[in-house]
Amino acid sequence: MNDYFISANDFDAFVSKMASERNVIGPVAKKTKFVYGKIQTNKDLRLDFDVTILPPKKVFTPTCQTLVTFDGSKFEGAVDKQPVVLFGVHFYDIKGLDMTDLLFSENNRDENYMAKRKAATVIGSSVQNVSKRAFWGSVGANVAPKGHDGFITKIGAGYHYQSLTQKGEALVGYGNFKPATEGQAEEARTVNVSMMSKCPEALKHSSEAIAKKVRDSFKNQELWANLSEDCFSCGSCNTTCPTCYCFDVQDKWNLNQVSGMRNRYWDSCLTEDFAKVSLGAGAEENFRETRGERFRHRFMRKAAYLNEKLGGPACVGCGRCSAACTADIADPVNVIKKIMEV
Amino acid sequence: MSKPKVAFFDFTCCEGCQIELTNYGDSAFLELLNHIEIVEFREAMTEKADHIDIAFVEGSFSREEDRARLEKIRQRASIVIAYGSCATSGGINAMKNDTNDYKQNVYGKDANMPHLDSQIALPVSAAIKVDYNVHGCPMDKYELLDIVSHLLHGKTPVIPNYPVCVECKRRETICRYDVGDHCMGQVARSGCGAPCPADGIPCEACRGFVDSPNEVALKKVLKEKGKLPERWAERKSKMFTANHRSDAKKLGV
Repeated sequence: MNDYFISANDFDAFVSKMASERNVIGPVAKKTKFVYGKIQTNKDLRLDFDVTILPPKKVFTPTCQTLVTFDGSKFEGAVDKQPVVLFGVHFYDIKGLDMTDLLFSENNRDENYMAKRKAATVIGSSVQNVSKRAFWGSVGANVAPKGHDGFITKIGAGYHYQSLTQKGEALVGYGNFKPATEGQAEEARTVNVSMMSKCPEALKHSSEAIAKKVRDSFKNQELWANLSEDCFSCGSCNTTCPTCYCFDVQDKWNLNQVSGMRNRYWDSCLTEDFAKVSLGAGAEENFRETRGERFRHRFMRKAAYLNEKLGGPACVGCGRCSAACTADIADPVNVIKKIMEV
Repeated sequence: MSKPKVAFFDFTCCEGCQIELTNYGDSAFLELLNHIEIVEFREAMTEKADHIDIAFVEGSFSREEDRARLEKIRQRASIVIAYGSCATSGGINAMKNDTNDYKQNVYGKDANMPHLDSQIALPVSAAIKVDYNVHGCPMDKYELLDIVSHLLHGKTPVIPNYPVCVECKRRETICRYDVGDHCMGQVARSGCGAPCPADGIPCEACRGFVDSPNEVALKKVLKEKGKLPERWAERKSKMFTANHRSDAKKLGV
């Protein structure tokens, strides 16, 4: 682990040099918002982003991902091991990646995710602008961001860069980095710590207290029915979430009807058919048929069910769900407040 | 295995979905003919078939005398697929379901000619059992192909019952509501890939509603966030959703 400093001018040259030699993905502008996209030169990289539409997990598990290609009875895995540098990930999304790393590696290890993830260099970046619905300052305080290879922080005269692994250290070769002074390292720490109190929204209770109350509210059908009254079952709270990892697998045949591919798509437990299962002989059953049951399930998953495994809630406070919900009923801060008040 | 016998039929519609079929282009269409045998297709041939494996039905059910013709198709066909919004939801024909002066407006002095008599426009499923729907105005030719592929391989086609929001998110489209616009994407059946919002146009729900649309919340969001006036919010995109709404007209009522 080494601390470096790079001036603002040298940083631009570093990004362009790195982008010319490596496959770099980072936050780029999309009209009024930001998305993770290909970085060609330093001008593409927008470290002043507030939040991206989709979380960076899409780099490792794309919204539509081919798992297998087939041709008659021959088939081939579509595991992608191409190295990628994911540059510019806010700490809350690093937490999210750490969670999906665990969830995709346990039990049946998911090679399509893990191969891409292992081949990646992930570099965090300080939050320069806070999104309107963020509450990361108050969620999962005990969960430290980890699993990344380096972290870059914008400080007065340029950038402080901390390499955390060999992969993170290797990037230093692309730019005019100098060892950071103690003052620069301290400035970076101060920048990152002071940002923690800048969120417009905040949870008022500990993760443990929330988890207990959410679980205890399981049978309060009226509560869940009320909370989900305006729910469209559109799944936007799932499809923008950095810790959701459910997918649906579908086969596609090419026109020749012999070759084709098996794809997976991000799925979402808020949509009506998610929990519809076959009972055989053409019969089917939906085990979460009502909006309230589906809405409840999301909060159980995010605030309670996975806490033991993940060391904290399966929510990082990015606020994407709050912003994406057109009915504005998905905001965990508002929902948990109501649950805690019951 | 012999090639499945496929037939195309049309009822009240513009036949645009048949045109969309031809938009596959020569090579794709000819490749498809390696896998299916077209046995009946009014636009292209005069032959008729006794048995049909897959019948594609375009257009809405809007005249009682069409019921017998639909029933005959059903009797001859193993699988009936309604394709295009008119067949799956009544389509834009169902706009007339809430009016009673359309004949005068359209035909003027000829409005009372007997062949213009029709009832409310309904999906084909109002007259016969439909196995699968290919939604859309026009239907998506790739989705139709996907359904045919599944059937050729003995698989059950999956018709999405999640809304357009899912597909907008998959392609990271900026939500219309985030730019001060309105949209029907939260209740509109997807499967189209959400091209309209990606082009900056609100979804009109041309594929109709998902199975359980939250109509109350829709009106609320269209009014409060989409800034539509009351009546507009209530009737928004009725053109494609008249038969999916809780106030849908029923035959003989």
